[in-house]
Amino acid sequence: MLLLGAVLALGTVGIAWATAGLAPIVHARQSHFKALGRAAKSLRDQIGRSEPDWSIVASDAREIERLAAALPSWFPEGSGRGHGVKTRARAAIWAKPQEFGQAARRLLNRAQDLTRAAATRDPRALALRTRALGQACGSCHRRFRARSSWW
Amino acid sequence: MTAEAPTNGRVRVWDFPTRLSHWTLVSLFGVCWWTAKSDHMRWHRIAGYGVLGVVLFRLAWGFCGGQTARFGDFVRGPAATCRYVRKLLGHRGEDAPAPIGHNPLGALSILVMLALLLTQTTLGLFAVNVDGFASGPFARWVSFGTGRRFAHLHAATFQLLLAMIGVHLAAIGFYRLARNESLVPPMIHGFKSRAPSGVVPYFVPWWRALFLATGIFLFVALLLSMR
Ligand code: HEC
Repeated sequence: MLLLGAVLALGTVGIAWATAGLAPIVHARQSHFKALGRAAKSLRDQIGRSEPDWSIVASDAREIERLAAALPSWFPEGSGRGHGVKTRARAAIWAKPQEFGQAARRLLNRAQDLTRAAATRDPRALALRTRALGQACGSCHRRFRARSSWW
Repeated sequence: MTAEAPTNGRVRVWDFPTRLSHWTLVSLFGVCWWTAKSDHMRWHRIAGYGVLGVVLFRLAWGFCGGQTARFGDFVRGPAATCRYVRKLLGHRGEDAPAPIGHNPLGALSILVMLALLLTQTTLGLFAVNVDGFASGPFARWVSFGTGRRFAHLHAATFQLLLAMIGVHLAAIGFYRLARNESLVPPMIHGFKSRAPSGVVPYFVPWWRALFLATGIFLFVALLLSMR
């Protein structure tokens, strides 16, 4: 009985400790993603204009490229769903590391294309690269993020 | 059949624009649901503009359509609604004439449904998805965070709409089982078999609906061109 109690107590402490360590990781990840979303929307808002504000476009592109390069480091092993912290990171991220890595690399490549297009100041190239970037976000979310893209 | 029913036994209750609005809303709601689930945002937006147009049309038709479509004809105050509910539950009170068109409870559900749909389409105009790429036409006027909040409210209102549709269907079932009255066929062909108290509602010429629909189409097109 005492042993069982001790095991239970240890288990609870263990979970609490793991959760305490996990929460900042998940929250940091989500705030990085929010920054990515802000930059992506700001970029998208420039596309519909007759003449985009190229300084905004350039800084958004730089921000997206920077975040895309860091993205793989936001997903340490065991920071997905089912570890006590609310997250939409699916277990598939760690079950299929190759595919996830590919999706992340694809984002980085498209972000680099975007930075180049921004430098040319060609609105049509920019629109094309922005759309391609959006597809890189969406296809990863469909596979590795739980729930529809509206939640 | 009651004794005072006319010999042909049928009386026209719903005009064509009212029925068309109803079934268009049903179909567009289905399209919106499916396109949201499957992430077909282009079609979701188009169907949403359609819902906005139909709701605006129905609101306007409530002021200049046929008698049974008019809010002034079927929207009742709390006292009359309570009286109706008491009668429905079998407490025979004073005999209020049975309405030809919507009853006071139906009126309430129409108001709630139209209000929810108008809220829903308005929220959608500003909503932004998680990528920041798919968004309503007016999302440029709000920040990413605000657009996400609009999207979450959009999803919450959808739940309310589902609940309201559930109530609507339950009411249809109740009338069918407890009162032996079919509400669906009249909404399809426009006729009811019994003429309550022999009253025949008035209707308005069809070109009025055409005129109104054209105006609302132009209004929605103009609204969307502002983005
Ligand atoms: C390699 C996969 C991948 C790519 C590429 C990707 N995301 Fe994500 N994103 C995720 C995952 C997984 C989550 C869920 C994170 C969580 O809930 O902990 C997420 C969540 C988000 C969130 C929600 C954060 C929150 O508040 O919970 C936003 C916003 C977001 N991503 C934006 C973007 C944008 C914009 C892009 C493209 C520029 C993008 N993402 C590209 C995998 C990806």
